[in-house]
Parts: sequence; C-alpha cells; structure tokens
Amino acid sequence: MRRFIAAFLAVFGLVSSRRYEALSRSLEDLKAAGAESKKKASQAIAQQRSLESELRRQSQLVVKLRGSVEKWKHYHDNVKMLRDRLADTERELMVARDHLMAIEVKLDILEGAANVLDRRTRITAPQDQHESSARA
Amino acid sequence: MVTPPVVSLVLTGRNDGYGGDFIARFFRSLRFNHQQLTARGIAYELVFVEWAPPSDARLIRDQIFDALPELDVAVCSWYVVDPRYQEVLSLNPRLEYLEFPAKNVGVRRARGRFVLTSNCDVYFGRRIFDALAAGTLEPRVLYRAPRHDLTLPAERAPLDWSVLEDPRNLAGPAHVLKPPYMGSATGDFVLLDRESFHEIGGFNEVYRVARIGIDRNVLVKALSSGLRIADIGGPVYHENHEGSYRLNPAAYAGRETEAPWGDRRWHSGGVSYVNPPTWGLSEAPVREIDERVWYLDFSWAAMPPLVDLTRIVLPVARPGGPAPGHYVRKR
Repeated sequence: MRRFIAAFLAVFGLVSSRRYEALSRSLEDLKAAGAESKKKASQAIAQQRSLESELRRQSQLVVKLRGSVEKWKHYHDNVKMLRDRLADTERELMVARDHLMAIEVKLDILEGAANVLDRRTRITAPQDQHESSARA
Repeated sequence: MVTPPVVSLVLTGRNDGYGGDFIARFFRSLRFNHQQLTARGIAYELVFVEWAPPSDARLIRDQIFDALPELDVAVCSWYVVDPRYQEVLSLNPRLEYLEFPAKNVGVRRARGRFVLTSNCDVYFGRRIFDALAAGTLEPRVLYRAPRHDLTLPAERAPLDWSVLEDPRNLAGPAHVLKPPYMGSATGDFVLLDRESFHEIGGFNEVYRVARIGIDRNVLVKALSSGLRIADIGGPVYHENHEGSYRLNPAAYAGRETEAPWGDRRWHSGGVSYVNPPTWGLSEAPVREIDERVWYLDFSWAAMPPLVDLTRIVLPVARPGGPAPGHYVRKR
C-alpha cells in the first residue's frame, strides 16, 4: 500500500518528506564533495606548476652539469697528459743528471791533470831560462 | 799444479807512521787475523803492497818476520812499488797515498779463489772467518761487512774476542749496511771471487783525483756489472787512530779540495769506469829482490794515460736491480 501511494505521488512529482530529507542530505554531500574535489584540483594544478618549474630547474642543472662533466673530462685528460709529460721529463732529467755527473767527474780529471802538468812544467823548466830570454 | 788458497788478503801500507803508530797497529791486527785463519785451517795468502815506501825508512817487509815469527814466508807475496808511480799517477798533489791503485797491484797478482781487500788496522769478525772456513761464499757476490770502530785500551795486551766484542769498546754506534750499495767504510772490507774482481778490473784507476769514494765507486761498478752485493753477516773491527777520516769527516768542510783524501763530494755513487787493460800496474817490470818479495820498477809503459775520459761511463741500469746512482749536487 505504501509503495502504491509513493508511486501515485511520484506521478505528480511529489516525494515523501523523509525521502525529501534524504535527497537533500545527498545533495549537500555531493556539493561538499564537489567543493573538495575543486580544492584538490586546484592543489594538483599548483603542484603540477611547481613540478614543472622544478623540472625546468633540474633540466637546466643537468645541462650545466653536463657542461661541467665535459670540462672535468677535459681537465682529467689534461692531467693525464701532464702526468705522462712529467714522467717523461723526470726520465730525461735523470738521464741529464747522469750525464752531468759524468761530465763533472771528467772535469775533475781534466782539472787534476792540468794542475799536475802545470806543476811538472814549473819544476822541469828552469826559471832563469825564462828570465834570460825575457832579457834578450 | 799448486792449489790456489781459499782467500788472498790484499793489504797495502808503508812505513811512514800513518795514523801515529801504523806499524804497531798493522802487526797487531795481522797477528790476530793470522791466528784466526790458521786456527780454522783456512788456506790463505797475504798479498802486501808496500806502495811508494820512503827511502829513509826500513821496509815493513824487513821487520814483519821479526815481529810475527809465526808468519810463514811461503804464504806472503810482497810487492814493493817504485815511488815514482805515486808521483806520476796522482792527479791531485794533496793525495799522499793512492790506496786503490796500490790495492789493485795486489788484486791483479792475487792467487786465491777469493780476494779480500782490507786495511792494515782491521780485525775480521767471527762471521767472516766462519764464512771462509765453511766454504759457503758464492761467486759473483761482492761481500761487505759493517765496521765497528773501537777505542782500545791503552795497554797493548794481545787482543782477543773479549776485547773486540765488548760493546764498551765501541767508539760510536755500530755501522749498519744499507742496500743496495751496502756502503760505509767499504775500503775496510771488499770480498769477491778472483774472477769477478778481474772482470770488473779492480778499483777505479781512472779517477786519480781522490782516494775517498773510490771504495764506494767499486760498488757502483759491481752492480753495473751484474754482480750482487751482500752483507757477510758480521762486522769487522777497526782501531781508531789519529788522522782517520772517520774521526773527523768535516775537518775540511768548506775547503774540500785541500783534503788529503781528495774532495769527498765527487760523484762516486753516480758514475762507473772501465779501467785500462794495464790496471794494477800489470805491465810494470818486476824483479824478485828477496824470497817472495818483488819490486815493481818504474816504466812509462806500465802507466795508463794521464787522462782517458772515455773510461768514465754511466752505470748500466739492470731491470729489477737498484738504480745505479743518483745525482748529488757538488757545488
């Protein structure tokens, strides 16, 4: 019987007061949910914007770092080249020092021989001979 | 064929009072070493080079058998070298004694399987006699021994192990040999098989400007020639005396060229040498003047050239071996 009455009232667009209250509550709930969704959407949009900005920043950073990496790679290659050159120079320096030592030792010998010959000359050549030739 | 002795002990000296009481120190150390060698049955030969002896003093040879009657003439080979060799060989008038050309005279003529060059005031330690007696010495190894300098008691009682090995007699910290050269007082102990000693041509005779450092230089030559240098395992003992370089190495600081041993700053650790084939005065005319005493007469034919710069060479670096030398700023 109740179902019949409800169907009859529905023909005229009418609902029971209980039903009306329930529907009104649902409408309020839906409105609140809508407002919440709108708020969340706004937040999401803001976050998206922030992320996009961050992405741009990070992209710029990546570009910058790529430049730095290239620079460091270049620097590393330079260091390696300089190290190789240093090792070569050290080897050459060692060889040069070896030769310098040999030359200094030979100079010692030459100096010694010159001194010895000088002494022998002074001893063997009579002094008065020079003096007489100077007078002549 | 006569069996060669195990070792030839090559010494050089002359009766010039070097170090105050040279003859007394020499006889004392020789007596000790002779006793030890004999007690262990080590067949040895004493090769003594009486280098440029003063004309106004008795030869050491004329005194030694009175002082050491136990010494057998047959084990001694005595070489007296004409003083003109000292005069003509020297490239430094301040050098009064060309110690290493003198030692080369002995090395060249030594007959032993091993040749030990040392000095007249050196006592060999136990490990040295042990190694000689055991026959464990290897060819192509140059053996070195650290030197312990001793201040010995004034009273001249016969020396024995208790005196030599008493740490209270040490004049300073005992020397330690450091690889690769194992240098330090090298002139007091170089032991090498005769063949290798001949292969390297003895001590440097090309650089006759200094006496100091020639002993170290033989180590460079040895390494460069592919020989090994090893510590024999025990010390030699040296009796301190006046005039010793060890007592005052800085005596000529700032005027090194005036030192009687030559300029110690020469590059003895950095160059090698190739002695002329006549090293050890091998071409000198020799005449026997007494039993087992030979006199080396002066002859220009025995003399190396005054200068032969091609004989100063760079040491050979051998893979795996130590660096043959390093530059030291001289001036």
